[in-house]
Amino acid sequence: MSRVEVSDLLKTYFLRGRPIDALQEMTFVLEDSSFVAVVGKSGCGKTTLLRIICGLEQMTRGSVRFIRHPGVEENSPKVSIVFQEPRLMPWLTVEQNLAFSLVKESDRIRVKDTVDSYLNLLGLKLFRDAYPSQISGGMAQRVALGRTLCFDPDVVLMDEPFGALDAFTRRHLQRELVNLFMSQRKTILFVTHDVDEAIFLGQRVLVMDQGRLVKEVSVDLPYPRNPLSRECYFLREEIISFFFAS
Amino acid sequence: MGWIRPYLIVLMVMAVWSIGSAADLFNSYLIPSPWKVCGTARKLVVSGALFRHMAVSFYRVIIGFAITVCLAFPMGLLVGLNKTSRSIWEAPLNFVRHVPPLATTPILILWFGIGEASKLTVIVLAAFFPIFLNTVSGVANCDPKLIEVGKVLGYRPFDRLVRIILPAAFPSILVGLRLGIGYSWRALVGAELLAAAAGLGYMIIEAEQISRPDIVLVGIFTIGLLGLLIDVLFERMSNRLMPWYGGDKGYVQG
Repeated sequence: MSRVEVSDLLKTYFLRGRPIDALQEMTFVLEDSSFVAVVGKSGCGKTTLLRIICGLEQMTRGSVRFIRHPGVEENSPKVSIVFQEPRLMPWLTVEQNLAFSLVKESDRIRVKDTVDSYLNLLGLKLFRDAYPSQISGGMAQRVALGRTLCFDPDVVLMDEPFGALDAFTRRHLQRELVNLFMSQRKTILFVTHDVDEAIFLGQRVLVMDQGRLVKEVSVDLPYPRNPLSRECYFLREEIISFFFAS
Repeated sequence: MGWIRPYLIVLMVMAVWSIGSAADLFNSYLIPSPWKVCGTARKLVVSGALFRHMAVSFYRVIIGFAITVCLAFPMGLLVGLNKTSRSIWEAPLNFVRHVPPLATTPILILWFGIGEASKLTVIVLAAFFPIFLNTVSGVANCDPKLIEVGKVLGYRPFDRLVRIILPAAFPSILVGLRLGIGYSWRALVGAELLAAAAGLGYMIIEAEQISRPDIVLVGIFTIGLLGLLIDVLFERMSNRLMPWYGGDKGYVQG
């Protein structure tokens, strides 16, 4: 379990010598065991934010701190990410792809137990011996989620993981993710461009525009939510109208 | 009837050859009849001469190929992984690549004599580039997105090499090996034509000198068939080693 404090984050790219601020003045806190959604148009810096938090990119200025116990900063936090694409290893079966995140675990039985439990939890048991080229996009993204969870991260970052899926599969996986969150209580930061998805999933929705955090909305609705409810409707209007106003 | 398609051309050539020979249409010195070639092949098999030459050629290819793999694979890794070494090696290797291995035989014979060393060098020169270049491209073209997965999961550089980059490059490396073994087979027989005391190439050149076109044809067929056999075996092995690739494309519903 972990709390994440992002403060005054700045990321500057140089495009043919010209500086471009992908992120600026980003300050927010992910409470321990909270589910936060970030929503924004494409190109607003959402992906960059996640890549900085999980260490794939360097920040220009600012800090990202992981706090395990109050007042104690964690130096090697377990952060993992589910990418937009499944990014499975094509030469490994579904089962081996899940075990891929357990490279440091030498206890074979422990690896097998962990992998088995996630195969069960995500309904992948029948496909355990299939290769990524043999399963559908929805299944593949489910395997990617399983791989991330097998890693047992304190913080899970998700970068539009359901963006490429059809509406039915997406809705199904959103529900599964809510169930997982309720049973495992990881800290989740979920990035999406889909306002409905953000409202359906997040306890808080952070709205980003042009590299800045421009709005924060709390969603005080119990899970599982009804996306057609009045409350959801008003939240959606509030967020969307903000984009039209600006 | 689909099974017959791969053999159709062979059957047609055989038919034309047989009918032409039976009707005495060909000069039997230039094109010996199929039955004569078959008889010669039988004699060469029975006397053991054919197998002796085959064994010599095979031995050379296996040793030469093993040496090549030991050179080309590590160099391919180095050059594929490291941009600096790529810029150092690219130009000189491109120079060597454009010289046909057989063109170097005269100087190799001067340096190493007509012993095994010159023939092994020809094999190494022939097989090096397909193995080296395919290793380089396999390693260098590994999807950076997969490498990022390793980084996020805390893989050290060595683990990333062994568990991501090498498996990702594996199909390409196998293609290189398959091309390499074919090239070395062809180059070897060429080298044996120029300087050897045994081997299939030598058998052919010796037969030419004693005016035995039937033995030449037996030699040519043996070389072609063995090359084909090696390639088929290699392909089988590739498919076995890479069940995720090509072969089994069954789609599991989900």
